[in-house]
Formats: sequence, structure tokens, C-alpha cells
Amino acid sequence: MRFISRIALSLTLFAPLAFGQIPPEEIYVQTMPERGENWFIGTTGSGGYIFDATTGEMQGMLSLSRYTPAVTHYWPRREFYAAESYLSRGVYGDRTDIVAVYDYENLSPIAEIEIPNHIARLQVRSHLGLLNNGRHLAVLNMNPGHSVTIVDVEDRVFVYEASTPGCAVLMPIAENDFMQVCGDGTVQLIQLDLSGFEENRVRSDVFFNVIEDAVFDRVASSDDGWWLVTHRGVIFHVSTDDDEIIVEDGWKPHLEGEEAWQPGGRNEIITAHHETGLIYVAMHEGAIDTHHEPGTEIWVIDSNTQRRVGRIPMDPPANSIMVTQEAEPKLLVADAQGGSHVYDALSFIKERSIRIPDSTHFEDF
Amino acid sequence: MNIEKVFDRTYYWIDDNARRTSLALARKLSRRNFLSRLGMFIAGAASFPLLPVARSFAQDSVAEVGDPQSCDYWRYCAMSGTLCSCCGGSYSSCPPGSEASPITWVGTCTNPVDGRAYLMSYNDCCGKAVCARCGCHNTEGDKPVYFNSNSSTVLWCFGTENTSYHCTVSLVLGVSD
Repeated sequence: MRFISRIALSLTLFAPLAFGQIPPEEIYVQTMPERGENWFIGTTGSGGYIFDATTGEMQGMLSLSRYTPAVTHYWPRREFYAAESYLSRGVYGDRTDIVAVYDYENLSPIAEIEIPNHIARLQVRSHLGLLNNGRHLAVLNMNPGHSVTIVDVEDRVFVYEASTPGCAVLMPIAENDFMQVCGDGTVQLIQLDLSGFEENRVRSDVFFNVIEDAVFDRVASSDDGWWLVTHRGVIFHVSTDDDEIIVEDGWKPHLEGEEAWQPGGRNEIITAHHETGLIYVAMHEGAIDTHHEPGTEIWVIDSNTQRRVGRIPMDPPANSIMVTQEAEPKLLVADAQGGSHVYDALSFIKERSIRIPDSTHFEDF
Repeated sequence: MNIEKVFDRTYYWIDDNARRTSLALARKLSRRNFLSRLGMFIAGAASFPLLPVARSFAQDSVAEVGDPQSCDYWRYCAMSGTLCSCCGGSYSSCPPGSEASPITWVGTCTNPVDGRAYLMSYNDCCGKAVCARCGCHNTEGDKPVYFNSNSSTVLWCFGTENTSYHCTVSLVLGVSD
């Protein structure tokens, strides 16, 4: 008994000493690793979740205002840009709209530029566009008339607000220009000078009818222009040659008997892979005016042959899609029940699901 | 005191008040602010009779059938948002403390009682947190945001003191057919 008591006493006295030899852990803050292939930002009402689509692992988060339409990046400066809108008391009080600049390493705000207080507060990718010179950021306004704010994100200054009545959507093109879709059935081209002020403005011929078959206000970039799609599924390609707008003839990928199939979804319903020329469109079977119905299938269309090369069934149906621009691209899908999924964009095989709360759309990164 | 002196004093009083008011305004407000407010007032006053909300007062009452707290209610055929009728308001009134937006989008809905098509105005109620009950998204006649008079996805809290979205009401503007 005495022996056992001594053993117990020894354990009581020496055990804490043994644990005390382990160095205590200290909290620390990570910085972002080097960007990998197929990284993307899942935009939500509370921020941008940065993910690696290959592994499904989250890498970090950008805190954005709940009214942020979209976020974009410019890798040579390793910065992100977001249009944001704040009310001083949350749901009331003074409104302040800004373009916020975030660094890559810490995903922290490093600058902000005040802009006119009427950004279009809808979560739409094409309501924000960094022009191809990497210097001028265009932000869509709605008050309720349309205009576009130009910000010099390199010098961190507000430059100019261009009135653009009847036109919305921002499609950067050439070095310092952008196009817009207009309610009179045309595309508008606005060319900026080196300082970011408007230098020239031209309209295309009328090529669609907004009452009969409107072009969606969701668009997809191609290697030299932009893809537009109408509510009934007619696909147009628009590009520019200096100050000339080139609208190619529209075409449909439907086969006979598939007329009831049309594009639809609550957010980004069309996306394209530049190198291969593959276009992905969320499609459903429905009547006229069902253009916000989520896609029960994603149609994969080869723009080179204007033929469909795949149909990917979606269950739950898809509200928002985006393809990454890698050599081995991933197709990202936000479904109508709040789930997010990764597909191999060339084999159309589902690889994984990712939890991104209330994801509305994606940004390639 | 003769009548001329009365006129003189009255003119002096008017001049002096105008001078003091102008000075006070000049101290408080920048020239740009004053011009912007004056412009907004003139534009707003001129356009008020054109607004759908102003014209709606001239309409007779409409026979109703159905549940105003259901998205299937006939007035909501082009509605996108949350129903004020579920949030302390009704299909035509904003909940307490919110602010009615005077600028709207429009749609055309058929009333099942009389089979007639009515021009609808969808007004957002603003200035409070989103009332997340009874979400509704119908797209009859809905157009993209570049054609925003018929676009249901736009947040229509324009022309209000506070621009946060609370819920949406649907007003009959008149018979469409």
C-alpha cells in the first residue's frame, strides 16, 4: 500500500513538470501563399472567399460591403479592387460609396477612393470592369439613370463620371475602352484618353429587340471580345477594331425540337474559355419570361463550329457559373439551394462540392 | 408716419432679411451644394405629376381575390423582392417607419376577378433592414437592367432619404387593356 502511495505521489508531483517541457503554442497570422492554378473568388453578401478549385481548400477572405457588385484584381500590382457602398448607421444614415483597394499578401484594405454615391448595388460581375491597361476601373452607377464612374486605381483618384443613358454592363476592350449593352438594341463603345476621360463614343447598328428577345445583362469575355446571349438563346459575338464595333451574326446551338430550351438563372448564366473557344450556358426548358429560372443543364458549345458538344445535368439547378482560364480549366457552379460545385470543364465530370455561404457569383483569379 | 415711410420700412425689412438669410446660407452651404439642391427641387417639382405614384391616386378601387401574403397573388406577376404585406404593411402600404420610394418599375398583370390587364407600379419601401419574410421573384415582362423601367432586379430605393431596401408594394396605376 505504501509503495502504491509513493508511486501516486510521484506521478502527481512530476507529471506537471513533464508537460511543462512542451513549449506553449503562440497565435500567429498567416499571409497568402503564392497564387496557384484554378484559384477563384466566390463572391457573397459578406465578402469574397478565395478558394483553390483543385484542392477545394479556402485560402483567405476579402471583407466587402454587402452592396459590392463585384471584385476584380490586377496581378502585376498584386491588388484587388472592389466597389463598395456603406451607410453610416448600417441601414440608414449617410451613404458613402468607394472603390476599395486590397493587397494580396494580407487581403487587407490599403487604400480607398471616394466616388459618387450611386453605384448600382447589385451583385453582378459586369458592373465593375478594370480596363485592359490595368489603370482605369469602370464602375456602373444607377440613380436610377445610368452612368459610369472612372477611377484611376494606380494614382488612387476619381477621374470622371460619364452619363450613359439607357446603357448598362461594362465590357472592357482594347487598351482603354469599354462597351455597353443598350436598351435600343445596340452596343455602345466608349474610348478613354490616357487620363481616363472620355475621348470618343460610338454606337453599333441595332441588332436585337429588347421587347421581342432581349440580350441578357450577363455577358462573357472571349479572347478578342465578348459573348452576348438573348433570352431565347441567340448568341452574338461583339468586338472592336479601333473605333468600329463589330457585331457578328447571331446563331443558336439548339437542335430541332429543342426550341423550349433557353438560358436562365439568377446570376451569371454564360461563361467562356478563351483558349478553346468553349461557351458554357445555364439552360432550362420553359416559357417566355422564365429567364431567371435556374439551369437544369449546362450546355457546352464550341464557338468555332457553333455546335453543342456537351450537356451537363444540374441537380439542384444552376444559378451562376464561371469557367477558369487555365489549360486544365474548372467549371464553377453555384446552385439554387446555396451549394457550390467544381467540375472538370473539359470532361464535364463533377470533382467536388465546396461550402461558400450564399455564393452569388465567381471571379477568376 | 406717412405711407412712404411704411413702404420704406417694409422694403428695408425685406431687404435686410434677404441679406441675412443669404449670408447665413452662404456660411453654411457651398455654392455647388446650393445649386445642386435648387436643381433637384426644380426637377423634382416639375416631374412629380409625371410619376406613376402621383397618377395612381386618380384610379378607382380594384376588385381583389387571393392572398396578398402569397407570391401567387395576381398583383405580384412582375414583383421581385419581399412582400410588405408580410412585414407590417400591405400590398399598397409600407410598414411602419419605412419610407416609400417615389420611383418605381412597372409591369402589367391580369386580375382574375375581371380578366382585365392592369398597369402595376412596384414601389420599394426603404430605410430599414431587409424584411426577409415572403420572398417573391416573378419575371413576367421583366427586362435587363439596361432597360430599367421594366427591370425587377434593381434596388429601387431612389429619391428616399435612406437607400436601404426593406420590402416592396404593388400599386394599380390603371387599366392597361
